[in-house]
Amino acid sequence: MKRKKTAAERVWSVFRFLIISGLGFIILYPLIYMVSCTFRERGDMNDPTVVWLPRNFTFSVLKETVQAMDFPRTLVNTFVLNVVCTVFQIVSCALTGYGFARFEFRGKKLLFGIVILMILVPTQIISLPLFFRFRYFGIEGVATVNLIDNMLTMYLPAITANGIRSGLMILIFRQFFRGMPKELEDAACIDGCGPFMTFVRVMLPNAMMSVLTVFLFTIVWYWNDYYISTMFFHNTRTVATMLHNLDNELKIRLFGSATVQISERERIVWNQAGCLISIAPILIMYLCLQKRFTESIERSGIVG
Amino acid sequence: MKRRSSESFPKKRSGLTYSRRKSLYGYGFISLWLVGTVFFFIIPLIESIRYSFSEIAIKPKKLEVEFVGLKNYIYALNKDPHYTEYLAETLKETLWKTPLIIIFSLFIAVVLNQKFKGRGLARAIFFLPVIIVTGPVFRIISGDMDTSGSIQGEQFSTMFSTDLVGELLEFLGIYGTGDGLRSYITAIADNIFGIVWSSGVQILLFLAALQQIPSSAREAAELEGATSWEYFWKITFPYVSPFILANTIYTVIDTFTSPMNKVMERILTLQNQDINYGGASAMAWMYFAAAMVFIVIIALIANRFIYYENDTR
Repeated sequence: MKRKKTAAERVWSVFRFLIISGLGFIILYPLIYMVSCTFRERGDMNDPTVVWLPRNFTFSVLKETVQAMDFPRTLVNTFVLNVVCTVFQIVSCALTGYGFARFEFRGKKLLFGIVILMILVPTQIISLPLFFRFRYFGIEGVATVNLIDNMLTMYLPAITANGIRSGLMILIFRQFFRGMPKELEDAACIDGCGPFMTFVRVMLPNAMMSVLTVFLFTIVWYWNDYYISTMFFHNTRTVATMLHNLDNELKIRLFGSATVQISERERIVWNQAGCLISIAPILIMYLCLQKRFTESIERSGIVG
Repeated sequence: MKRRSSESFPKKRSGLTYSRRKSLYGYGFISLWLVGTVFFFIIPLIESIRYSFSEIAIKPKKLEVEFVGLKNYIYALNKDPHYTEYLAETLKETLWKTPLIIIFSLFIAVVLNQKFKGRGLARAIFFLPVIIVTGPVFRIISGDMDTSGSIQGEQFSTMFSTDLVGELLEFLGIYGTGDGLRSYITAIADNIFGIVWSSGVQILLFLAALQQIPSSAREAAELEGATSWEYFWKITFPYVSPFILANTIYTVIDTFTSPMNKVMERILTLQNQDINYGGASAMAWMYFAAAMVFIVIIALIANRFIYYENDTR
């Protein structure tokens, strides 16, 4: 009986290895391809003998892409925008989630229904009225300011827990705070902490795993967003919008006109180089945090 | 409201009761969100409905909105050259892709929950799509995979070709699986790239759910001599079933709202190139309504099968 089981387990472990490595390859494949393309010359794309290793190793494509995306400036811009938004969003969503998890008040069910609605309603539906709201910000007919191209269009929603996918973040925090023992709150109360101090001193330090999860998701979603950014920003550039428009920028900056035709296949070189430098910062961050992140799943930082 | 409550507690007139104070604090904690939601969510939502029934013109000082009734909706359904076609396409795709993603991600989560060497690395790799898939990078990656005609791309898809699946099944001794199952498996094989890449968050959620299973359940099952097959259906499945619903809803929303799908692209073109804001809003609302119908049906079906350990969730 026992021997049979170990045999089955051995077969399974081989099988498991095959599945995991096969599927892992599917995930890593585009990344390897990206690196491989970045260091090729455009002509290599038409060479059937080039599979992974470029025949003509070059940095020039990478340089051109960095130039076309105005990368250093764009990167700093995006970085500031993302970090500020993420910090705002973590604070505001944690507060809101805590409010929903720990207090009883009138209309709580209805209000929480709105949070769920925020998760369900796609941004695309409200983006147009939002655009006009920021375009004519203020009191209609009295004084309005044009906030388009101002970072405030991103900061204001983030600071009021209405940024990108904030509904989900509120939900994550709420689930976590609901799982905290009541005794903790009572103990803090006896020691003379008001509800707010209880939150800051006792609850938040315990919620670091959730904070990490929310941090990672928020920064990634802000980093990747190009829908809202193209809507609100016309001259302010983020990495995602630049990558989205890479084709045009390349034609204008490299070849001097928007009508130049480059074969689709050769264009891949620049596209992949653009992809590589766009995800590199977020990839590095992920590699640094992934160990703690996987741990946070072990300790159920998400479902609480 | 305040006065009435102080009347009902006449003896504590000097101060608020504990529970009353707590409820005020509750409002305090959510106040930031409440203000933001009114300004950046509720009002835009209502305005968006209004737009969908109106014609909109941008004037230098302000916006002109003129009520035109159902005109925009009729335009979207009858006159727009692509809308209904794209809508049907997206619905169909969601219909077959969602169950695939759910089954796949549950399977991977169960595998990644087992103990084996290199598990940390495997997890790190399987979560990788989470950080990439929502952005323009994935758009380019998947585009280059499909259309570039690169040699690797072709190799890639033939690697998982139809024949291979059939042969593999026969090799494993599974004969007469029926065309339904077989075509389903073939569909998985053909779309493996898209499925693997869009299951990151789902795997994550399932994995988190698997951690919730109390070790007492596992010990009891071992004591009773349950096989791992029985263990999966009798222990794992009931525990993760609420998350199957959550994941299904997440997947549906994700597929529906991805800026990469065709309906969304159509709405964007209408908005940005044709400057038909009313029409775009009408399309977006119909699309959202379709998605909601979808989700409600799923939730109703799922509710009969879900096992809740405690009903408070």
